[in-house]
Amino acid sequence: MSLRLKEIARTGGLQLVCIVISVGFFALPLIYLALQAFKTNNEFLNNPTGLPHPWTFSNFSDAWSEGDFSNEMVNSLLYAIVPDVVTLILGVFLAFPISRGWFKHSNVLYGFFVFSGFLPAGLIPLFIEAQKIGTYNSRIGYLIMTSLTGAGFFFFVGYIKTIPREMDEAAALDGCGYIRYIFTMIVPQMKPALATFGIFGFVAGWNNLILPLVMLNDQSLWPVTRGLFSFFGQYSSQWPLVAAATIIVALPILVVFAILQRNLVEGVAGGAAAGSGGVAVAQPVENNE
Amino acid sequence: MSTIPFGTRRTRRWLPWASIAVPTIGWLIFGLFPSVSTVFFSFTEYSGFPGTPLHFCGMCNYSNAFNSSWSDFSSSVEVTLKYVAGVTVLQIAIGLGLALLLRHRRKGFGLYRALIFMPQVFSVTIVGVLFSLVFDPQNGPAEPIYHGLTGGTSAFLGDQNWALALVVLINVWMFSGYTMLVYIAALRRIPPELYEAASLDGAGRFRTFRHITWPLLANATTVNVFLTAMGCVGEYALIRVLTDGNYGTKTLGMYMFDTAFGVNPSLGYGSMLAVWQFIITLVIGSVLLFFLRRREVTL
Repeated sequence: MSLRLKEIARTGGLQLVCIVISVGFFALPLIYLALQAFKTNNEFLNNPTGLPHPWTFSNFSDAWSEGDFSNEMVNSLLYAIVPDVVTLILGVFLAFPISRGWFKHSNVLYGFFVFSGFLPAGLIPLFIEAQKIGTYNSRIGYLIMTSLTGAGFFFFVGYIKTIPREMDEAAALDGCGYIRYIFTMIVPQMKPALATFGIFGFVAGWNNLILPLVMLNDQSLWPVTRGLFSFFGQYSSQWPLVAAATIIVALPILVVFAILQRNLVEGVAGGAAAGSGGVAVAQPVENNE
Repeated sequence: MSTIPFGTRRTRRWLPWASIAVPTIGWLIFGLFPSVSTVFFSFTEYSGFPGTPLHFCGMCNYSNAFNSSWSDFSSSVEVTLKYVAGVTVLQIAIGLGLALLLRHRRKGFGLYRALIFMPQVFSVTIVGVLFSLVFDPQNGPAEPIYHGLTGGTSAFLGDQNWALALVVLINVWMFSGYTMLVYIAALRRIPPELYEAASLDGAGRFRTFRHITWPLLANATTVNVFLTAMGCVGEYALIRVLTDGNYGTKTLGMYMFDTAFGVNPSLGYGSMLAVWQFIITLVIGSVLLFFLRRREVTL
């Protein structure tokens, strides 16, 4: 009996420790921020740590209209979804022939792409280039630049190897064309990999601050991250208003996270194996050929 | 080399090339070309203002870094190294601790893990604004806590002695969930028989960890250390929002961004800093891999 009590006390203590850490340390700053959004500026100055005493909602509508967030939300959605989808499709078309070894030097090609990932970040030349070829300060230009980076490709090469080659041959014998084969056979088989990468790509695209900071000058082209950054600079003395704007910007990604957190968490756990493959550069190809 | 089963005899030859053409060309234009020409621009005095000449000047930027701009340059390298070391050590320690605590499949643990993982799905803008409020020296909640504990006051992110440590901590706060998840995946692959054998042999908690868990996590430690260090060596987005590189937080990346896109732009000198950042990344990466891999082999 006392043993059971001890065990209950132990698991209870463990639960308490976990709650204190996860909620108190990792979630509390956000909860605090959210609470400030419901205060008036005066109330925040008088009582910065307590709960809002009448709950005010006007900060949200004020921030929404003053920050031009409706337009920026549309931009953010465009900048997150278009490059994500294009990158996934192009990544499959790039990875498929390389992982099948249809080039004389597929290994060299693969190694070359992997190696190039370690080269210096070309932000400054990209900025100069964008001004020269007209992709600077343009919505279409920004989408082109972010869509053609080839991310996700390494991951796909390894994944496609698990799809048997016999399937290719059978489909080709039945007269299935190349593009149709990729879309009707390869893409459905890669669903888990594409989903993981798609989610991470969406989040990364939505969250990018540096590229919009460098490439987009007109406010009408800004995504929410860039918009919030300048809103913060402009209204830094009115914390409740800034807090409301931050919640507005955080909410979409928080919803995405709440719905997909299982996939994200599993993606990281699964990616650990892929990550160790990436550390031993190009190892998977050498082993399988 | 295998042959492609698709297409007719005539199309077979170019079909694989057509498949990779668009992503490869796009990557050449927007990936490889800018990347390589960073080195080219580092030998010029290009300011970046449209219409100004490129003006090739050899090693001028490199010699400036070691002469007239030496104090800025050396301090940015020093800050970068401190930043990488601080973030990596803390994130590995905290990530491992969290993993040991939350590895089991218990009631509620999924939620705790998700909460710990959550910060990294937010943009650096959100995290930056959030902690600017928390550490606001006038009205932030950190102020009264600090005052209550020590009786003193601090400007936190505006304080030369605090800013770098706080930025490191915020970076760790944001990403330790990732380290935790990688460790949890590895912990679950350790065969339970090993722990049974150890407890039969009378090994205590600490010795079990020291001789079973830690060595068998070597792979995951390699991944975590490498990813963490490589991920933060070029960091400046978060710093840009939190301190804008002031108060002793100007990493090499921040210095580069400031030089290239700040008030008085110099794309040539900025490119040179990007080249240095690349060199430092390469050195840290190879040193880490050398030691981590050796550790995996010997154990």
